[in-house]
Amino acid sequence: MSEPLLSVRGLRAKVDGEDGEILRGVDLDVQRGEVHALMGPNGSGKSTLAKVIAGHPAYEVTAGEILFEGEDVLELEPDERSRAGIFLAFQYPAEIPGVSIANFLRTAVNSRLAEGEEMDVFGFQRTLTEKMEMLKMDPGFAARYVNDGFSGGEKKRNEILQMAVLRPALGVLDETDSGLDIDALKIVASGVNRLSEADEALGVLLITHYKRILNYIRPDRVHVMMAGRIAESGGASLADKLEAEGYDWLHRAVAAV
Amino acid sequence: MSTMTAGPAESTLAAADFDALSGEVTEPETIAGARAAAWERFNALPWPTKKSEEWRYTDLAKVGFEALTPVVPAPATAEALSADVREVLGRSGERAGVVVLREGRVAHLELEPEVARSGVVLSSIRDAADRHPEVLKRALLEAQPGPAEEKLWSLHLALLGGGYFLYVPRGVEMPAPIHAFHIVERAGTLSSAHSFVYAESGARAAVIDEFLSDDLEAETVSLHGATITGEGGAGIEYVALQRFGRGVKRFSTQHVTAGRDSSVVTFNVALGGDLSRADVTSRLDGPGSDSEMLALWFGDSNQHFDHHTLQHHAAPHAHSDLLFKGALTDAGSSVFRGLIRVDKGAQLTDAYQTNRNLLLSESSHASALPNLEIEADDVRCSHGATIGQVEDGQLFYLMSRGLTRRQAERLLVFGFFDEVLGRLPMEGVRARVREAIEEKIGL
Repeated sequence: MSEPLLSVRGLRAKVDGEDGEILRGVDLDVQRGEVHALMGPNGSGKSTLAKVIAGHPAYEVTAGEILFEGEDVLELEPDERSRAGIFLAFQYPAEIPGVSIANFLRTAVNSRLAEGEEMDVFGFQRTLTEKMEMLKMDPGFAARYVNDGFSGGEKKRNEILQMAVLRPALGVLDETDSGLDIDALKIVASGVNRLSEADEALGVLLITHYKRILNYIRPDRVHVMMAGRIAESGGASLADKLEAEGYDWLHRAVAAV
Repeated sequence: MSTMTAGPAESTLAAADFDALSGEVTEPETIAGARAAAWERFNALPWPTKKSEEWRYTDLAKVGFEALTPVVPAPATAEALSADVREVLGRSGERAGVVVLREGRVAHLELEPEVARSGVVLSSIRDAADRHPEVLKRALLEAQPGPAEEKLWSLHLALLGGGYFLYVPRGVEMPAPIHAFHIVERAGTLSSAHSFVYAESGARAAVIDEFLSDDLEAETVSLHGATITGEGGAGIEYVALQRFGRGVKRFSTQHVTAGRDSSVVTFNVALGGDLSRADVTSRLDGPGSDSEMLALWFGDSNQHFDHHTLQHHAAPHAHSDLLFKGALTDAGSSVFRGLIRVDKGAQLTDAYQTNRNLLLSESSHASALPNLEIEADDVRCSHGATIGQVEDGQLFYLMSRGLTRRQAERLLVFGFFDEVLGRLPMEGVRARVREAIEEKIGL
């Protein structure tokens, strides 16, 4: 098999300045074109893993490595990781009053241009309109301030809109399904599927509590995180087992190790 | 570049005598008299020192006034505009007229014929002294500056040269703003310009004053004064967009008088220069009057911006709302000192004052001193100030989309400013200001 898109090796991390590791030796490979679901109970470290992959400054990596397309990204700033092709859809996206979505995304697209390269303003506008249509967003949405006063569903859709415009190689979706009603969930899921279809090499790491979204986004692999480690990995059927039996059997298995 | 009359212009302020300063210029008696009196007063008054509250954070002793060459007030001249100036003129959008001032002297003036036909007068102050002496006297020459402003105001009046005069008669509504370009070209000079805006009852006036220069090698001082008067029910929108180059120190004194049920918006934007001081006074003179005072500044390197404000409620039932926001990086510094004064008879006053500061660097520094002085007993007044930094959560969010730290910070500054920009009524004016801020912030 070729070199993985994302390879997490023995990753340990904690909140900067605090004791107690949240990630306690995570190993995870995501190949190009694959969708991986990462499940697990609250507090198992799923969101921490997502933030550490994106380079959140509040966490300190104490051991291990994160290779993206074969390159160690731990020394890269969050913006460098983003430009390299890593995208994090936030569980709780920040609100930026006074900055419109259009202005924000234009700046983000601009940041990807090589020195002296001019942005195609009309092309950008076209892409933005097209992606907003795909996510069934009102055309006036682009003029709204980033996440300011958005409903939970609007925030999540806005995350997927950004992913669609920025076209990363890897999308880490941190509980993008939480707080969505079924209609919003279907729109978001179909958006992700459309991105996967448009880019066959797109890798997705889908972090979720619930199996529900996996009815709409078919995972190639399912992992279960427990106490800062991947406790179990399997095919799509693992999600069904978790749905039916909960996490207790895994708790017992982890305890027995 | 044109040069001024030789001789008197070569002397420094320290060596100047008023007769020489006046040179061979013939001017209307009203102006000559006011200038002579102002010169005398200037020489009699001591410089304000850092011991006074008003000048505690901006040390006038560090400005080399004495060594500057005062620019002799000269009459308006029709001049060929340089390519640079033409380029600047070409850049801005819809407008009712244009004034170009060089070191305060009106070098070019045009008013849309349609606007002129409606009765709007746009001229140099010198010409206005011939044709509208009464209003000029009342609103400008006899204006009473506050004690802390008096020294510089006297110097400003003593140098009163061209400046412009905008008069909008009763019930006339200007469709677009007058755009005035105040250009400073000569390093080492001391010059002064005045913006005179008068709206009769029910009239609507809009003005952008844009202050420009290259980066100048020698210390250069630009004084500016504005008298903005709205009679009953008038509406005025006034913007001062300060984009001087480095080397320039700028002092602006702006007096607003708002008559019964009138509404005046002033908006100061400080982006350029080494030092930029603005003293803005709004006098709520008539019941039901409304004053909105807005400002934005963005300071970098070692720029120093100083804003002093007075919301003076002299009449009952008036409303004033001040929102000043500044952002600083590098070793930039700023001061906001604001006062709401409510006279005894000004019952049912509604007055607000807010100053917010955003610091992007360790060595930047902001001071905020909001104040109230209330003699009436049935009023609603509030004041507040904050000094903060960008939020880590916002910064990480933006950076996670590929923006560098600098880009993310600058975008957050832009977002921080948006609330103030959004309060400018005219879209064209808003666009111009936004463009200037974008250029300075450099996203």
